Amino acid sequence: MSFGEYVVSRWGTLSLAAAEHALVVAIAIALASVIGIGIGVLGHGSPRVREGSIAASAAILTVPSLALLTLLIPLTGLGWGSTLIALTAYAFLPIIRNTVTGLRGLDAATVEAGRGMGLSRPRLLLRVQLPLAWPLILTGIRISTQMAIGIAAIAAFVDGPGLGNQIFEGLSRLGSVNSLNATLAGTLGIVVIAVLFDLFFAAVRHLTTPRGLRVRVRP
Amino acid sequence: MTADTAPTETVPTEKTVPAETLPLAPVRRVPLGARHLITPAAVAAALIALYMWVGTLELDSIEQRSLNRAVILAKTVEHLQMTLAATALVVLIAIPLGVVASRARNRLIAPVILTLGNLGQAVPCIGLLVLCTFLMGVGFQTALVGLVAYAVLPVLRNTMVGVQQVDPALIEAARGMGMTRGQILRRVELKLAVPAILAGLRTALVLTVGVATLGAFVAAGGFGELIINGLKLNRMPVTIVGGVLTACVAFFIDWLGSLAENLLKPRGI
Repeated sequence: MSFGEYVVSRWGTLSLAAAEHALVVAIAIALASVIGIGIGVLGHGSPRVREGSIAASAAILTVPSLALLTLLIPLTGLGWGSTLIALTAYAFLPIIRNTVTGLRGLDAATVEAGRGMGLSRPRLLLRVQLPLAWPLILTGIRISTQMAIGIAAIAAFVDGPGLGNQIFEGLSRLGSVNSLNATLAGTLGIVVIAVLFDLFFAAVRHLTTPRGLRVRVRP
Repeated sequence: MTADTAPTETVPTEKTVPAETLPLAPVRRVPLGARHLITPAAVAAALIALYMWVGTLELDSIEQRSLNRAVILAKTVEHLQMTLAATALVVLIAIPLGVVASRARNRLIAPVILTLGNLGQAVPCIGLLVLCTFLMGVGFQTALVGLVAYAVLPVLRNTMVGVQQVDPALIEAARGMGMTRGQILRRVELKLAVPAILAGLRTALVLTVGVATLGAFVAAGGFGELIINGLKLNRMPVTIVGGVLTACVAFFIDWLGSLAENLLKPRGI
């Protein structure tokens, strides 16, 4: 069976796995974004919170993914739970770091001008600081997503959802018919998902960047 | 766990922060002292705790077959061999390639490498390893090829970016001092690119320690074997020992990398 025939004949399984893969990544990234941006916004002023949260999320990233996923089994069991927790934990660093860098890198004069116009602190944050830091924060989310898509493949080993199952299926039936096809389908499918997510973020970035900032964006 | 902020600041910079990032605040130089001892102390504490925890368990014969000194030592050696061999190959391949790609006459190649580098990150390492198996069968060499293919990109990209970002005025000055092109490369450009190259290398090393656990799927041994066997045989202690040992090695190597970054950084920077 050629690769094309394999994909056509297994289309149902493959598309379901791909959808689950994308879904688990999307949920994990949404969680990590909300928590990460929250930590960044609340903590960017205090060096202790800032450095502490970045050091902690960097430490999480140092733990190998297979190890973290298996260490989570006694706590959250096999499947979606462990996968979601691991993916979310890995996604923190780029998001927190870029939020902090973005908020701290703002032109002090702009922030001062906002304050001079009588904006309260929450409004200053919502109307001036976050919009200006947004392209950088979005880049952090984008990087986290790419990372999570790759790690989600390994999560199939702890019974997680997604295209990683195709890869492990190919591995466990090494040498038999369709084992190469399954592996290829899993691997290429994940690359396709990564590219689609990247295009999505490029579109989001284009739509949500404040107009005044677009001039500065390099191609 | 890693409380030494200076190194943790730099590793992920290279991996996570893209070209359009705002310049980061200069990394504070912390003198070698108490701060640098936190990581090894934490790793040692984790290892001792693991040892004592396993000591309190009553191991059945299946667990005993995995959790004994000889097996754990063998797995450690295999894991380190895989990691170090892959890193050595990465250095040999990526740094010269990075320098070549950063030369002005190769300006067209650079964006291609950057794009490939970004896309390559999206290829899942487990898929890459299994695909290598179809080409070369199972074993150490297969794992090595997969690991190298995965870790080459960050080092290559950092070398390229590191050499390219050297201030042209400095190169002009060196040329004005009568240096040849080889001298400029060796004594100015590469020296100034050392922090970026080292940061990339450290990222690659830590990444490799993690990915090397997947080597067990292609029968290359290492801690991954403990993790996988424990899971397959439903013996959680074996899995936990494998996982904790891998994490400890990753932290320890990251710490060694931070020391190397501090020591090898040219004094003027």
